[in-house]
Amino acid sequence: MKRLLLLSLIAVTLLLFYGCGTKPKPVEEVPPVEETKPQIPAEPKVETPPEPEIKKITESDFMIVYFDFDKYNLVDSAKRALDQNAQILKENSSIIVQIEGHCDERGTIEYNLSLGEKRATSAKKYLKDLGIDDNRLQTISYGKERPVVFGQDEISWAKNRRDEFKIISQ
Amino acid sequence: MKKSIILAILIFCMFLFYTIPAAQSVRDVRGRLTEKTSYEPTKIAIEETRYVGIDYITANDSIIMRNCAAILRNDIDFSPFFEIVVIDSFLMKHMEIDEMNLLAWKWLGSAYLVRLEAEFPENKIRLKYRLLTTESEKEIKKDQYETDKKDYRTLVHKIANDIIKALTGDDGIFLSKIVYIRQVNGDKEMFISDYDGYNERQLTFNKSINISPAVSPDGEYIYFTSFQDGYPKLYMYSLSSNSSDLIAGYPGINASPAVSPDGKYIACVLSKDGNSEIYLLDRKGKIVRRLTNSWAIESSPTWSPDGKEIAFTSDRTGSPQIYIMDAEGLNIRRITFEGKYNDSPYWSFRGDRIVYVSRDKIFRVCSIDVTGRDYKVLAAIGDNENPHFSPDGNHIIFSSNRLGPQDIYIMDLFGRTQTRITAKGNCSNPFWMPYKK
Repeated sequence: MKRLLLLSLIAVTLLLFYGCGTKPKPVEEVPPVEETKPQIPAEPKVETPPEPEIKKITESDFMIVYFDFDKYNLVDSAKRALDQNAQILKENSSIIVQIEGHCDERGTIEYNLSLGEKRATSAKKYLKDLGIDDNRLQTISYGKERPVVFGQDEISWAKNRRDEFKIISQ
Repeated sequence: MKKSIILAILIFCMFLFYTIPAAQSVRDVRGRLTEKTSYEPTKIAIEETRYVGIDYITANDSIIMRNCAAILRNDIDFSPFFEIVVIDSFLMKHMEIDEMNLLAWKWLGSAYLVRLEAEFPENKIRLKYRLLTTESEKEIKKDQYETDKKDYRTLVHKIANDIIKALTGDDGIFLSKIVYIRQVNGDKEMFISDYDGYNERQLTFNKSINISPAVSPDGEYIYFTSFQDGYPKLYMYSLSSNSSDLIAGYPGINASPAVSPDGKYIACVLSKDGNSEIYLLDRKGKIVRRLTNSWAIESSPTWSPDGKEIAFTSDRTGSPQIYIMDAEGLNIRRITFEGKYNDSPYWSFRGDRIVYVSRDKIFRVCSIDVTGRDYKVLAAIGDNENPHFSPDGNHIIFSSNRLGPQDIYIMDLFGRTQTRITAKGNCSNPFWMPYKK
């Protein structure tokens, strides 16, 4: 009877470890556990490895996506940034983000509000095409109302034409 | 030999005489527009205010008196049809007179003269004016007004309106107000002030971003976009109750309102279907009709004064340009072809022209005929934004960063006399309110 229990225990842990894709070596370390309640400590043990991956994703982990003047199409560097952001979203399937579209100070307030909206939605569409559920992607446009840099030169403007990712819920 | 030299000198002199007048006309301050729109503004003089009270005058009251004359001169000079005649002591000495009289004003070319008299009963100011012609010393109009001392500016604006009405038959705009956005502690709040920038009052206190005010034709409601709820939604501010109500809070942006001339509809930009399109809402915010249908950005609708057409910005050709459509959304036609970036149209109250901004390194204020002809640059210093007409159609209000900080400026229809009316910067989105009935 006790043997049967032990056997089934081994089978369960084996299955668990197999599912995690870890090396078979730790499986051999399990058998020494002979008590009847190792199932409880065994489970957190299995869960611990992915924990460093979940390690609190913050907004700074998301790349900022930059745009050209009066444009909302994604240039190659913007796509690379979005690929990285998609990776984070794939690995952390519970995160819901808000994509903020921003513009530089040139052009009118009203037009830039629409342009920022376009920038946010083009990022959303790209991520959706990469397989991210669009329920996890909210958008908002701030137009030119929230610049990060206040200079009046091309470098400052370039930094303000952007999509920022804000975490709504983890 | 000698003859030929004389001849050469003669020809040279002729050449000089020929070119000098030409050079002078180019230097004319009133600029390129004078050829077509030339008129001589009528000259008018406004004398210093005379004290007619019994008591000794206080220092404060004498300052008010001096300001009264200055404000009145500023108002009348603001009208493109009048020009204030100024006089200094040098000129008076030259003319060998001690005091300006009607004849002296006439010598200076002034057609009319305004005389002001003030007294200060208790804490009030009583201001009398007399409008005279210098030609026959005929009195055209006289009246007197009384108010609290602190409201003396309003009193003077009222007199300015009377004078304009008496001389042109038009309603003066000097009691009209302007609405604009000013940045306060990082937030953008809505403000109201007199047309000359005085008597500023803050309307919103929601500590968020408020933009794009548009006033209903009755001057009662201000429609604007606010982020007070986190997202850009459309609100209506009532000037009688000093409170705002949510009008449209569809997903995406709810922006760029424009009230129809009959006050029944609001054209605005919604992106609820994933892309900025122009919609027609009723006063309560219910969607009446979607007007545009394209993948491009549509923005900044403005109504023709008869309410039959709407001009707007669209980037359907790859860059923002100005288009006109019927109020039903049909018959769309492009009117701007000059420049790669044209935006922010506003239809004149006379209906013939549209004022807008055009980018050529800097953002300039331009105007164009509604048929797309006769394009003119009106303001080309610094970056300029959101031009709007005054209710009488004689002036244009806009924001500009020409001196560094962004402030509100006013110029006349032809781009002359560009004057800053706000200080301290961070001002945008001006809208000139209709006359208050």
